[in-house]
Amino acid sequence: MEEIKNKLEKILLKATKPARYIGGEIGSVVKDRDKVDVRFAFCFPDTYDVGMSHLGMKILYGLKNQVPNWWCERVFMPEKDFETLMRENDIPLYGLESLDPIKDFDFIGFTLQYELSYNNVLQMLDLAGLPVLAKDRTSLTPLVVGGGPCVCNPEPMSDFFDLFILGEGEEVNLELLRLYEKMKPSNPTKEEFLREAVKIEGIYVPSFYDVDYNEDGTVKSITPNVPEAPARIKKRIIADFDKVYYPDSFVVPFSEIVHDRSVVEVLRGCIRGCRFCQAGFIYRPFREKNIDTIKNETKSLCEQTGYEEVSLSSLSTSDHTKINELLLSLSEYTDGENVNLALPSLRLDSFNEELLERIQAVRKSGLTFAPEAGTQRLRDVINKNITEDEIINTCKMAFEWGYTQVKLYFMMGQPTETDDDIRGIAELSDKILQLYFETPKEKRGRSVQIAVSTATFVPKPFTPFEFEPQATEEQIKHKQEILKSAVTSKKIKLSLHYSNTSVLEAVLARGDRRVCKAVYAAWKKGCYMDSWDEHFQFDKWLEAFAETGIDTAFYANRTRSYDEVAPWSHLDYLVSHEFLVRENKKAHLAQTTRNCKEGCSGCGIKPECGGVYCGGKKTST
Amino acid sequence: MAEKRLQPKNVDLRPDRYDKRVVYEKCGRAKYISHLDLMRAMQRAIKRSKLPIWYTQGFNPHIYIMFPLTLSLGFESRVEVMDFALLEDLLDEEVLKALDAQMPEGMRIVSCSTPVHSHTEITHAEYDIRISADKTPAEMVEKFRDFMSREVIEIQKRTKKGTYKPVDIRPSLELISMETDEDHLNLKMKLPAGGGFNLNANVAAEAFLDMYGITADEICIERTKILIENGEVFC
Repeated sequence: MEEIKNKLEKILLKATKPARYIGGEIGSVVKDRDKVDVRFAFCFPDTYDVGMSHLGMKILYGLKNQVPNWWCERVFMPEKDFETLMRENDIPLYGLESLDPIKDFDFIGFTLQYELSYNNVLQMLDLAGLPVLAKDRTSLTPLVVGGGPCVCNPEPMSDFFDLFILGEGEEVNLELLRLYEKMKPSNPTKEEFLREAVKIEGIYVPSFYDVDYNEDGTVKSITPNVPEAPARIKKRIIADFDKVYYPDSFVVPFSEIVHDRSVVEVLRGCIRGCRFCQAGFIYRPFREKNIDTIKNETKSLCEQTGYEEVSLSSLSTSDHTKINELLLSLSEYTDGENVNLALPSLRLDSFNEELLERIQAVRKSGLTFAPEAGTQRLRDVINKNITEDEIINTCKMAFEWGYTQVKLYFMMGQPTETDDDIRGIAELSDKILQLYFETPKEKRGRSVQIAVSTATFVPKPFTPFEFEPQATEEQIKHKQEILKSAVTSKKIKLSLHYSNTSVLEAVLARGDRRVCKAVYAAWKKGCYMDSWDEHFQFDKWLEAFAETGIDTAFYANRTRSYDEVAPWSHLDYLVSHEFLVRENKKAHLAQTTRNCKEGCSGCGIKPECGGVYCGGKKTST
Repeated sequence: MAEKRLQPKNVDLRPDRYDKRVVYEKCGRAKYISHLDLMRAMQRAIKRSKLPIWYTQGFNPHIYIMFPLTLSLGFESRVEVMDFALLEDLLDEEVLKALDAQMPEGMRIVSCSTPVHSHTEITHAEYDIRISADKTPAEMVEKFRDFMSREVIEIQKRTKKGTYKPVDIRPSLELISMETDEDHLNLKMKLPAGGGFNLNANVAAEAFLDMYGITADEICIERTKILIENGEVFC
């Protein structure tokens, strides 16, 4: 829009990194607004630098823009300096492609990737000039929709959205927009449209459900209040993952973003079942792409973007059934093109000499491992199926190769954790350090640093630990003291950042609808950009919780019984409740569960979902 | 040392190179691309063009590109210069076409040639400076005449240490022409540029505005010429 463009001209140079706010990047899709029938604002509720790195947006952006008369644009949360300039100059939140205000779009879609971005949704709606509460947006458009992993329990955000999209978006997004396109000419009311929309599998309209509570504050029941709404809403899944839509072009930003490279998704889901890990359960079953598919996607993306680095994306790349062949085949292409092949998410126990040689980046910097727990007992509890021997062997090999830095990630406050488990973190780090000194001088690098960082465990829905209490601040502080006194070497660097954000995460992750009021109240007090240390205001959040009668301990620190009705119990993420209970019981016995490759453990996923190890007919080889 | 296993990725060293120089345009939305971002954008554009680009010959081979002058964020220009090298001696026309096809909105390749002058020969650049402010164009003209009539114009220049030291910029200012239109003061100026002393056109404009307490609504600057010692254009 010319008006916004002219206003932007006058303020952009006052903002930091203005290239983020004006669009025009290679790969961005610009259409003739008079020739499109459905306009979708894909909003990432965080800054451009973070949001532009998100793979899901790239996929759904390309997918929707493939349809000639639909136009999907990108929208991000402006940094505070630019937000102030926008408000001073009456510039509403706009789409980066057209520079049109998003309040005039048909859909405003948010991806909910992490709890701490929730309040940015409210802030962005407000900046767009829209009421934040769904009930106050009475006209059909814009429809405010949400997706992403956090939507497996969207209840604390249910007051602000018209509908949620559960599970994988590649098919359901098309179905939803097609329905809208079909109904739009007849001018339906919002309710009329939503009543049709809930007939699509995976579409959840929170206002079509009533929630009742028990006297003790737990949820009693969740019941549909319109005949169209199903009792349980099932997440969507792409059964033939090899054939799923994947973009052949990315929007290539000018300014540097967090993950500034081509990304190719090689597999979805995870075979491991680490009990704390939400992604390991909600993205099940494990499906993968063929080597040729991956190679073609890599080639076409590298050619279109001009990036000199491509990264393979997955929860655990080394679990690809043909990982060695894949890496060999890919590196043939990338080496020839001077493209660097980056492999995050490689599991510690999957390293072997050949693989290490393959991933040998030009710069030898650090190796990053996440043992998550310091003792074998606790690693068994969390089902992190990795032994100390495996950690030791890998580190030994790494030091012999000249690596000088090892980063270790641990979690604190996991179920059954004792002080000994905490001391185990120090012991393990020390053992790894000794390995360096045992490495012959002519082989090892000049110096060594072991960086140990700990995070507070946050129990998440749809994991075996969804029943577990989160450790309190006092408990975590106690554990940190123990770890501090147990680490003696200066070569081991501890980062023991305790952040109140984990309390907030815990409440938002497992909260029910009543938490919406606290979210709203906190936003009113100026809380947003909560994932940024410099903007996070815990005191304001506590005020908001107090004023709205939300007891954080009830949501964060309470043990939930197996038969309690979870606030998300009407959502079906295909992994069965019985399986989660079984896994929780085994955790308390420190018993591990085999991974999907070793044998099925009956998580409840049906063969027809296309899982490689689910015993169904393979859709592709 | 473990280093012995390492070999440069492009083991076949390619010493033969054919140097190319392009003149490009950076206007419109592209003026918000910072210099650092521009270097990346150009590397990617070259990569997409599939030109047989010459890489640096080290352990971290990267696309070799050189910019004789940086263009400040927010400036427009149709005379920007970038050098790079190819492995094959392609026709200039061919290189221009391939690279131009990969330019983002607001950017265009204007010409391609084999470099003649070295970067160190650059001494000056010319700028069009367009100012709208809380004063009328006529008032600004008067003030600018006064500005240029001064013998010394001292500004505080930031040093590398982060401290400020006074610098007299008057000897560096050369006014080529001054005009007005309905809302703007339009200046054409020649300022020192290149490896020696460099004066940013924005700094010159701000020095003027500060001195007379003028609040600018908008300052638009375009670099129009890059010059060498004898007054000829660089490329």
